[in-house]
Amino acid sequence: MTSETRSALSIVRLRRPRLSRKLLLLAPPVLAGALAPLFAAYPLRIFDLVLIYAMLGMGLNIVIGYAGLLDLGFVAFYAIGAYTYALLASGQFGIHLPFLVVLPVGGALAGFAGVLLGIPVLRLRGDYLAMVTLGFGEIVRILLNNLDVLTNGPQGVTRIDPPALFGVSLVSPLHFAYLLLVMATLVFAIVWRLETSALGLAWAAVREDQDAARGCGIDATRAKLFAFGTSATIGGLAGVVFAAMQLFVSPESFTFWESLVVVLVIVVGGLGNLFGVILGAALMMIVPELLRAYEDYRLLLYGLALVIVILLRPEGLLPRRYGPGWLFARLGAR
Amino acid sequence: MLFFENVQKRFGALVAVQDVSLSIPAGLITSIIGPNGAGKSTLVNMVAGSYRVSAGRILLDGVPIQSLPKHRIAHAGLRRTYQNIRLFDGLSVLQNLEVAVLPGALGTVLADVLGIRATDSRRIRRAHCLATLDRFGLAGLADRPAASLSYGNQKLVELARAVVAQPRALLLDEPAAGLNHAETDTLRRHIEALRGPDLAIVVIEHDMTLVMAMSDRICVLHRGRKLAEGAPAEIQAHPEVQEAYLGDPGATHAIAAAAHARRNQVRVRADRSVAWHRA
Repeated sequence: MTSETRSALSIVRLRRPRLSRKLLLLAPPVLAGALAPLFAAYPLRIFDLVLIYAMLGMGLNIVIGYAGLLDLGFVAFYAIGAYTYALLASGQFGIHLPFLVVLPVGGALAGFAGVLLGIPVLRLRGDYLAMVTLGFGEIVRILLNNLDVLTNGPQGVTRIDPPALFGVSLVSPLHFAYLLLVMATLVFAIVWRLETSALGLAWAAVREDQDAARGCGIDATRAKLFAFGTSATIGGLAGVVFAAMQLFVSPESFTFWESLVVVLVIVVGGLGNLFGVILGAALMMIVPELLRAYEDYRLLLYGLALVIVILLRPEGLLPRRYGPGWLFARLGAR
Repeated sequence: MLFFENVQKRFGALVAVQDVSLSIPAGLITSIIGPNGAGKSTLVNMVAGSYRVSAGRILLDGVPIQSLPKHRIAHAGLRRTYQNIRLFDGLSVLQNLEVAVLPGALGTVLADVLGIRATDSRRIRRAHCLATLDRFGLAGLADRPAASLSYGNQKLVELARAVVAQPRALLLDEPAAGLNHAETDTLRRHIEALRGPDLAIVVIEHDMTLVMAMSDRICVLHRGRKLAEGAPAEIQAHPEVQEAYLGDPGATHAIAAAAHARRNQVRVRADRSVAWHRA
């Protein structure tokens, strides 16, 4: 083995983050949790939204950022999660399951829907996949709108049970801030784990060159199904929390526009970069609130912002290479 | 050993490969040559699983692979390089190799995701990839993005990616295309070093000097049929081959020169004129 190899090996070793360094990632959520009680309900509500969209973004990032598949129907899985809670914990059918039971059910149902959608559409690539997923998102919304017996149609489901955790009823934005901080941190850890796993490498290979990846022994279809399934599961989990927070769901909340916002969160923040997704979620939720006076121009401003980002930072504000792996490497180099 | 048994490929009325039987023994370098349109690429694409055979069988160490999907063929022990380099551009050189040794079994993949006994096996895989890069003199470039390497080094990375999984058969589709003399020599040394008792190497190449110097056996395809098979000297002396392909003595040089000059955009035509086109 040459000295070159040895130096290369040492680089590889540095890339493997130690547990202590991984735990550093807990600092931001812990700090946010400590500071949260100092804020009023309104900023906390926005903070909750940031976390929900961060979760959605991290979920969709698996499909778009890692596997390189443009999915424009992500809102469908969000809706499935939300309606799962709405129907299983409300007066709609008189079923009142606890939040912690519905949470995995909603995630599983959404993940199942993701795999079901994936099986037929993953033969498609690029624009065609985008069109079909867009259609799927709309089909789910229209279905929710018209299945009156089940979903109460356009009126939506009201009288949803406020969720309770370990005997504590979650009612204030602060409660949800804590719940969402824990969930978003877990999602972050899981998605980061996936990114660096064998599956993450397979996704990257499929994204870069699907045929060459197949030639290297990667079952591209299976890899993409996993991407669809995990991403949809995370979307479903976010949906359950959304329904539990709003205590009201209607098809209106799940338009194509929502899918687009999540795509924008990723594209603006940084495709394939978890830090970027969180930054994107914060920007996409906070900036419109600050510009509430100009709400009529929101679409115009979104469009303008997107064009500017794509022209000036085509890889997003935080490019892929400046993700958690880069941070660990930097911390390790000290 | 790679074995073609009465392999045939039709595209509608066109018969691209007609009843080709060919055995490619382990331990040797076998070149498949022939004018363009002879069916070389079709043959490669059938072995690698891009095309389905119309008739016949392809056996790798006795196992039929002609109806397996691409990734299963790879796991059965066949790896290839491409005429136009196809690396994972955004990934590092090391990751390009790691992709080729990812576990295929679902259970192993999930164990890796869940972190069960994964760290060790991943470290072993990574060390093996680095050792392979070292064999090709690329260890110092392990962390560079694949796309940032020179053309010659990218060709070597592709070769390393094909051999890192220790295949039983290796398919090299025009390995010297676009390389200069020095790079071709380096590549030749590396390919020759791969000769081993368990590896059947197939080379498709237009550079006749390289083919004659490197091959143990040569198979000539012409219009979808096997025209001749034998040692390089036999092939050079074969009258039909000379007529069909090599023609006058100058043709060999013209083809070799064209192969050196092009960067994947030029094809040598059967009528021995050189045609340029964008790939």
